[in-house]
Amino acid sequence: MLEIQDLSKRYGNVVALDGATFTVRPGRLVGFLGPNGAGKTTTMRCIFGLARPDRGTVHWNGKPIDREARLRFGYMPEQRGLYPRMKVGEQLSYFAQQHGLSAGAAKAATARWLEGLGLTDRIGSKLEALSHGNQQRVQLGAALVHDPELLVLDEPFSGLDPLGIATMSGILRERAAAGVAVVFSSHQLDLVEDLCEDVAIISRGRIAAAGSIDDLRAASSRRHLEVEVEGSNAEWLDGRSDLTVVERRGDLVKLLVASDVDLPGMLAAASAAGPVRRFAFQPPTLSELFMEVVQ
Amino acid sequence: MSRRRAIWLVARRELLERGRSRAFLFSVILSVGIIVAGLFLPGLIGGSSGAQRLGIVGSAPASVTDGLTATAKLANLTVQTEPVPDLATGEARLKDGSLAALLVVPPDGSLPTYVVKSRGNELLQQVVASSFSTPPQIQFRELEPADPNRDTSFLFANVGVILLFISIFTFGTWVLTGVVEEKQSRVVEVVLSTIEPRDLLVGKVLGIGVLGLVQLVVMVGVGLTAGVLGGRFSLPPTTGPALGLLVLWFILGYALYSTALGVLGALASRMEEASNASSPVSFIAMGAYFFSLIVALNDPGGTAARVASFIPPVSPMVVPLRAALGAIEPWEMVLSALVTVAAIWALFVVGGRVYSGAVLQTGGRIRLRDAWRASGQ
Repeated sequence: MLEIQDLSKRYGNVVALDGATFTVRPGRLVGFLGPNGAGKTTTMRCIFGLARPDRGTVHWNGKPIDREARLRFGYMPEQRGLYPRMKVGEQLSYFAQQHGLSAGAAKAATARWLEGLGLTDRIGSKLEALSHGNQQRVQLGAALVHDPELLVLDEPFSGLDPLGIATMSGILRERAAAGVAVVFSSHQLDLVEDLCEDVAIISRGRIAAAGSIDDLRAASSRRHLEVEVEGSNAEWLDGRSDLTVVERRGDLVKLLVASDVDLPGMLAAASAAGPVRRFAFQPPTLSELFMEVVQ
Repeated sequence: MSRRRAIWLVARRELLERGRSRAFLFSVILSVGIIVAGLFLPGLIGGSSGAQRLGIVGSAPASVTDGLTATAKLANLTVQTEPVPDLATGEARLKDGSLAALLVVPPDGSLPTYVVKSRGNELLQQVVASSFSTPPQIQFRELEPADPNRDTSFLFANVGVILLFISIFTFGTWVLTGVVEEKQSRVVEVVLSTIEPRDLLVGKVLGIGVLGLVQLVVMVGVGLTAGVLGGRFSLPPTTGPALGLLVLWFILGYALYSTALGVLGALASRMEEASNASSPVSFIAMGAYFFSLIVALNDPGGTAARVASFIPPVSPMVVPLRAALGAIEPWEMVLSALVTVAAIWALFVVGGRVYSGAVLQTGGRIRLRDAWRASGQ
């Protein structure tokens, strides 16, 4: 289990992290969300010792992370990069060996992962000869080739076409199912909601919300209420100042209400205006939750 | 996995990737070409073109001067004769090099003497000798009978410095560009997620250094073989130790310069900034090179050369040069090597921290002070 505890880091006058705390459990896929500059990349760099926190700790399986532990981690940084003139196969084999695999095991793992990524025929090509999409695949391969126990990916979906997104999602799901702790950052919240059970939302260097998406949605103090009353032109709302109207279109209104709102009362008010065609009471979506907590 | 294995993997990658590259092949061919050209071009130029000035003291018979011109033409040699008032003037002009040879014809009709500064152009001597009706009625005299190995020592010292400079700087620059390439391609962040920054720098310096050593050995091997087979020189008995010193000082000089260049490379973010970042070291290297070739070569036992032997950036070129000329005490050599090793260590401690602080930062040139601080955080 990856435990990030009270992580703080300043760069000059800029506060990058301000007491960030969250955990990633084995077999779970955690979406690490936050606006640009909230501290996602710095957190990831702290996991790999690429940035030294001013305060706080990062533990793996109960122990502070050292070089030995990092050998069992896989990392895909936001700024992609491999050796442009090195052959794809030799490149993956090199990274596998740097993670402690023997030469033979590295070669076997390289062949296996290139097959999985559909790049077997490019094993002898120089990286720079590959298309952008295929270079991204090799980059993922470099993070995966040693079968890490923890996988950290910074914006793995950025720049991918829909096909690439599907491949990446499949691989991340499959790794989590194999017991790997996976954490990745992304701005594509619908994708995260679809893919992850857990999220950690960081804002201004602090974790604003963390846990399972369902729990976070349920725990939100706000609900979305959609009401459609036929022929009413939503006039039944007029004069009610206690409701936040998100959208009003013809007979349909979308409202933001407290989770303990008087639902029977609302329904009665709507029914009085005409026949109710729709009455939907829902917790916020991940995107809505995100907007709530980072503001 | 041990740090040693990580370093070894980095070194092996550099060795394989660069050793197979065209750049390395070209570098070896070019450097061998420079050595061979350096050995033979001066001989070729001196032998075929440029007039040889022959001074004549006394009056040579007309048959001799006429015959001289004719034979010289046959030998494809241009000889200019000029009268010289007396022997003392002639010898002075031999010493300052304005005459290639002096022919002294005594008025009493005794044997003429052919005088040179030291054994040089055999062809001219033959031409002069054969222009007399019944050779070899001529005496031969050398003003400064040279140590038979003196020219060879001089040549070795000269070529040695050039070899060291080429090798140290070529491969030091490879370390520089290697560091910048890793930054520019951003691969360094992936690499450093498992390797300590210092280990990456050490591995890179080692791997590229092996290539430098290979090129040096090829250059020296080809140069010596060609020199001996081409009759340019014969190997003096000191050849073995001299080569040992060459290799030792390549290792020391390369370690010093490549570490410095690697550290400065980390301060650049793109290749365009690399030469700018490395200019202080390039400047020092050029200074050391010209100092060795101009000052130390002329006066290898002088104060300047002796002091320079203990200045780490200069000693890798000055010490082997002085050693080749036999103008250095053993204790000086040992002390100088120790000083250089200490400097390499100090540079590695200080530079390693700068490198660690700078190598992950991007966006323009990074200031030395910022890199130092970033690493301390």
